[in-house]
Amino acid sequence: MKKIPVDHITDGMVLAKEVHGKSGNVLLSKGLALNSFLGRRLKNWEIACVFIEGEDDSPEQKNETKVSPQEVREHLEQKFGTRLQSSIMKQIFTAVYQHKTSEGAA
Amino acid sequence: MQNPVLMQRLLDSVTTIPTLPTVIEKITRLLQNPQTSAEEVGKVITTDQAIASKVLKLVNSAFYGFPGKISTITHAIVILGFSTVKNIVLTASIFDFYKKKGGSFTGFDMEKFWVHSIACGAAAQAIARHVGHSDKEECFIGGLIHDMGKIIMCQYLPQEFGAVITRVAEKKCLFIEAEQELFGITHQEIGSTVAERWNLPRNLQDVVRYHHNPTASREYSATAGIIHSADIFIRALDHGFGGDYGIPTMNEQTWTQLGFPSVSLSALLDAIDEEIDKAQALLSLV
Repeated sequence: MKKIPVDHITDGMVLAKEVHGKSGNVLLSKGLALNSFLGRRLKNWEIACVFIEGEDDSPEQKNETKVSPQEVREHLEQKFGTRLQSSIMKQIFTAVYQHKTSEGAA
Repeated sequence: MQNPVLMQRLLDSVTTIPTLPTVIEKITRLLQNPQTSAEEVGKVITTDQAIASKVLKLVNSAFYGFPGKISTITHAIVILGFSTVKNIVLTASIFDFYKKKGGSFTGFDMEKFWVHSIACGAAAQAIARHVGHSDKEECFIGGLIHDMGKIIMCQYLPQEFGAVITRVAEKKCLFIEAEQELFGITHQEIGSTVAERWNLPRNLQDVVRYHHNPTASREYSATAGIIHSADIFIRALDHGFGGDYGIPTMNEQTWTQLGFPSVSLSALLDAIDEEIDKAQALLSLV
């Protein structure tokens, strides 16, 4: 999935996330094939960016979305700190770690 | 450190905080009467145009699942029911309150605080569903307002708020730990004092007062416990910023009381993500 400005929409791109209007209503649903006409409509609706299917090629976003499991673990360990001594907190830690890393792999 | 003089001064200063619109009080009173009709409630809401238009915006958002179909308050009540509409009115008023004067404090990102509040509401709703708690919607509002004491401090006690933020940065501790050390009074007491003045429902008052120590609530330890756990999960998942970078410890009694040991945490985390995605749409309404 990658985020692109609506100006960069070209025919055949596929929406990876639904697009919401200002009032929160769904304007376009996930999986829809985009084209330049829809791109202009989105601009009229004052939508700046959309998420489309495909590999993320911006290095800035790569850092944000593709974090290695090791980095996830370190980040969580720092966040949980001494609270990991509690067995419940350890369970939460493990569940969140698995959740975050499996999300990245999907 | 308990400081009664300082505590009194803090509590006194919150008496200057504006009350919630009278429309909330009127609705709460009307809803106590089982004879009340949808029209009557609709009429009361419509007397406050600002609230009424916000309610319609919220009702028609993807969050409530009837996008673009509801054009009158009475219609909203018929479709969604009294208590949902009451909750929407509350949500709309809270949005209004949060928006006032906010964001002026350097070093405190109000936008991210919003994400924290909305994510907590959404997560609380997901948890309520998973553990079979009946008050899902109130859990959403509970999450939304659990940290209202911080907003009040930021807006009305900027000096104290600044001191807490500095202490958090220095000691890398929790916001509440810094408050306890500095003042002996926390955003829980400050928030719930105001919640009480606003005549918010008792369970919501308790959420604000006890979300860090839910078992201290006599009647609403389950609701307060759901918000307590939602707060922990969303911090671990990195949603928004509530004033510090740590994670509070889960209350063991709450963990058992809510039945977490028999809940699939991985399914719960998926449900939380999904609910947060839906609630994100609300952010655009703020």
